[in-house]
Amino acid sequence: MSELLQLGRQNPRPHAPKPEDLKLRFGTNAIEELTNLQAHYPDKKSCILPGLWIAQREYGGTLTGDAIAEVAFRLERSYAEVEGVATFYSMYNTNHAVGKHMIEVCTCLTCQVCGAYPIGEYLKKQLGVDYGETTPDGIFTLHEVECLNACDRAPLLQVGDQYHGPVDTAYVDRLLNDLRAQEGSSVVQLADSIVQVHLANFEKAGSPKPSRPTAAPQSESRSRVKVDDSA
Amino acid sequence: MAELKLLFKHAHDESYRTLDGYLANGGYVALDRALGMERQQIIDEVKASGLRGRGGAGFPTWIKWNGLAKDKVKRHYVVCNADEGEPGTFKDKQLMEQTPYLLIEGMTLAGLATQGDAGYIYIRGEFVDAAKALRFAIDEAYAKGYLGQNIRGSGKNFDLYIHMGAGSYECGEESALMSSLMGERGMPRLKFPHAPLPTVEGLWDSPTLINNVETYCCAPFIIEKGGEWYATLGASTKNSRGTKIFSVSGHVNNPGNFEIEFGTTLSELLEMSGGIKGGKLKACVPGGSSVPIINAEAVEKAVIGYEEMADVQSMVGSGGCMFLNDQTCIVKFIWRTALFYANESCGKCTPCREGTKWMLQILERIVAGNGQPGDMELLLDITKQIDGRSFCGLGDAAAWPVAAALRVFPEEFEYYIQHGHSMVESELQLTPG
Repeated sequence: MSELLQLGRQNPRPHAPKPEDLKLRFGTNAIEELTNLQAHYPDKKSCILPGLWIAQREYGGTLTGDAIAEVAFRLERSYAEVEGVATFYSMYNTNHAVGKHMIEVCTCLTCQVCGAYPIGEYLKKQLGVDYGETTPDGIFTLHEVECLNACDRAPLLQVGDQYHGPVDTAYVDRLLNDLRAQEGSSVVQLADSIVQVHLANFEKAGSPKPSRPTAAPQSESRSRVKVDDSA
Repeated sequence: MAELKLLFKHAHDESYRTLDGYLANGGYVALDRALGMERQQIIDEVKASGLRGRGGAGFPTWIKWNGLAKDKVKRHYVVCNADEGEPGTFKDKQLMEQTPYLLIEGMTLAGLATQGDAGYIYIRGEFVDAAKALRFAIDEAYAKGYLGQNIRGSGKNFDLYIHMGAGSYECGEESALMSSLMGERGMPRLKFPHAPLPTVEGLWDSPTLINNVETYCCAPFIIEKGGEWYATLGASTKNSRGTKIFSVSGHVNNPGNFEIEFGTTLSELLEMSGGIKGGKLKACVPGGSSVPIINAEAVEKAVIGYEEMADVQSMVGSGGCMFLNDQTCIVKFIWRTALFYANESCGKCTPCREGTKWMLQILERIVAGNGQPGDMELLLDITKQIDGRSFCGLGDAAAWPVAAALRVFPEEFEYYIQHGHSMVESELQLTPG
């Protein structure tokens, strides 16, 4: 029978690198984005979630121990804290390397009654893998997910930042062919899209410096919070 | 009653997603009006409107708006809960994608009324399209002086940020959402009366207002046309005012979002969505997976309103309305509901963490044909031990649908346990393999 959707449970959890082995991989754009994001919040801790999205993009779609350690280093938090956050959320790929494309099959209520389970079985057969596994060629990872909240389009699949639905077996065949032909990883692209929506035009990496002063009100607010704490 | 489009009036007009199109269709009239009002006047309009939270709980909105300190000593935050995760619901997705300015204006109004300094829209990670539409709108609003410093030359400031989630149903719960926004695991916190309300100590221990997307989207209409006008909508119900968006899905011919006035009947809603397909109507989950399931007779009687739905022992919830035809095996449907909650329980509170798994194990063995006499009593007993015994509502939400299914469709469970297979000669495959 079914089991809980513990994705990729057969694999170990992320492995923390030794401090001397830590190699930083964030590019200049990623560093600039992370710096700009910090202006959105009064403390660095709040940047952990967006920071992990940047890391997921920079590390090719998977949050390895190195990726988590780099976020922790750049935000001055402990490795354990950042790993704890990363492993809580299902969209961070913390415990296994994922393929170029992640196909997520919604089997939750509306999709269930609209035929998602046969679609899931069909995908398993076509790809030759089970949920939580990656095809040997490293192109597809298949996942079962909970409600994606587009139930009017049930049964529904998500690949990268695209929803597909309603799908049938013919649609799945076409989709797999399209994805095989597609260059670039939709997993990385999803992470990039999510990073970009956090950032206003003038905050995007490489954009000209803002004409509107954004730093001033933030630093003022930060000092204000400190005053309250001491009071 | 037919559909009544207030929030969705211009939803299919693509120009409405740009500032020019929004202004041409009456956008930001409310903001200009509010800039000339006292803060308390804005809150009084919301009070007069009778608006109640659209996220599921139906809490009077004005009480939250009125709850933030009037003598401001700390920064005030305005948060929008756009972590739409309730199975069956997809209204916030459409609102953000097609009417992003309504949300931005609504949050700005809330900021004015509560002296908010900054707003955060917490969007679930999967909703990239919705986030992109909002990003575009926010950038434009900043550029034209509708957000940021000195809004419309009034000297008032309001910043708006987007914060993306990363895949967790639990983060739709307000205290878990705040934890997640502050860079933590999305787990709930101790609640009032054991801890201060978010309006007193929320984000970073500052006063924080949290409302659902749809709630904020109602605010511009209330300020523009007046709370009293808004309260005329849904006046036939006991205490539900305005319009409510229902996301209709499942076995219907024309699934989608339908905006209706409170007081509309559930069977009218079914009619709007093209009627049932593939058989006769068997059951309905009217307000998202957490609310109690009802049978076809109750659908006939049900009037949509927060109090009225209690007459059929169900709730309005978040408006995720799933209709099921007579090919659906309720036992398997409830098994999948239990699986959802067992997956999504954050693990903080024992009754929910363990109880959701126990319920799942029992339902799993029933579905596999190994049900035992006494399983129904055992399930009911577990639901009672979860309900009301965890920090947040996820535990309650996991217990209600199971308890309701046992109450409404006991014969299906009895038959399944006795015979080891479903009572429904179903063509639908509702389980893997």
